[in-house]
Amino acid sequence: MKIKPSDIVGLFARVLVGGVLVYAGFLKAAGPSAEFAAALAAYKLFPPFLITPLSTLVPYVEMWVGLFVFTGFYTRYSSLAAAVLFTIFLSVLGSALLRGIDLASCGCFGADMLSPHRTLAMDTVLFVLSLTTHKLNRYPTRWSLDQALL
Amino acid sequence: MNLKRLLTGSFLLLAPVIAVQSVKQTNWGPILAAPQARQKGDPNAKVVIVEYSDFQCPMCARIDPTVRQLMDVYKGKTRLIYKYYPLTKIHQNAMNAAHAAECAAAQNEFWPYHDRLFETQAAWAPLQDPTTNFMAIAGEVKLDLSKFSACRADPSRELPIMQDAKEAQDRQVSATPTFFVGDERLVGQVFATDGARTIDREIRQ
Repeated sequence: MKIKPSDIVGLFARVLVGGVLVYAGFLKAAGPSAEFAAALAAYKLFPPFLITPLSTLVPYVEMWVGLFVFTGFYTRYSSLAAAVLFTIFLSVLGSALLRGIDLASCGCFGADMLSPHRTLAMDTVLFVLSLTTHKLNRYPTRWSLDQALL
Repeated sequence: MNLKRLLTGSFLLLAPVIAVQSVKQTNWGPILAAPQARQKGDPNAKVVIVEYSDFQCPMCARIDPTVRQLMDVYKGKTRLIYKYYPLTKIHQNAMNAAHAAECAAAQNEFWPYHDRLFETQAAWAPLQDPTTNFMAIAGEVKLDLSKFSACRADPSRELPIMQDAKEAQDRQVSATPTFFVGDERLVGQVFATDGARTIDREIRQ
């Protein structure tokens, strides 16, 4: 079967979206959950009793969705789930910025933390790439588990 | 759904859980002894609170009154140990401030100096050279200024600071302030919301 440019773009978008989700989720899940809990608490959006369960669950959801997208498993659905995740991240971050919350107020995180505006830009790009993955990867997606499991 | 898909899906769901559990650190390692000058509260208290903190971190300054308040409320039941963790990559005067505090500790005046450093943080944090401010605080808390100056010029006084920072990294502390109440880790403003509850739980245990 002839390789089309959309196949290459679809693969690129899939690997990038999936890779970032797996990486980000893994860093949070493997590190102390109290640090992610502190970051969540800074948004002043969630009731305190939800902070700990969310700080444990969200990294795994990121990894699961990311792994499905990365490997091309139920690609159309998983890429849509990724788009929903990025919509949630963008809404939470955007609402904090609109409310004038200083996200650095949750603590000082050394030099490796992205600024809220950079995070907003990155999540927007990844949201668009998730929709691109959803649109370009028609079943069975080329170079994917969906294709391998036919 | 066929069996191959079911098995593949199960594998993809399990793989991250196994990967995380295989690398996740659950034992944070030992807390090295800190000099008496950097401890306050009851030496025999049941609950030990260890704080990893950076004098130039705005959140550390903001939460300090809460820490003092909790130490008052739980007087006789808690002991606080201060550990240096200057985030030198983002805070240009953090090491300098920790060094000054260490010199105050050498004269057994760590806590008054610590309090004034946080109270005046906004004034000295942006300065290229905060020496004048640090000397002024030393005067306020009645330190021997010549000893204080000599200590500040001595680079070996940074060793305990670097040891504390290394301990913090070994314990996977990457944000300040981070508190350990017993084995429970509380980061940033979570200490303000959950600190009392966590101390109560430690007392009950």
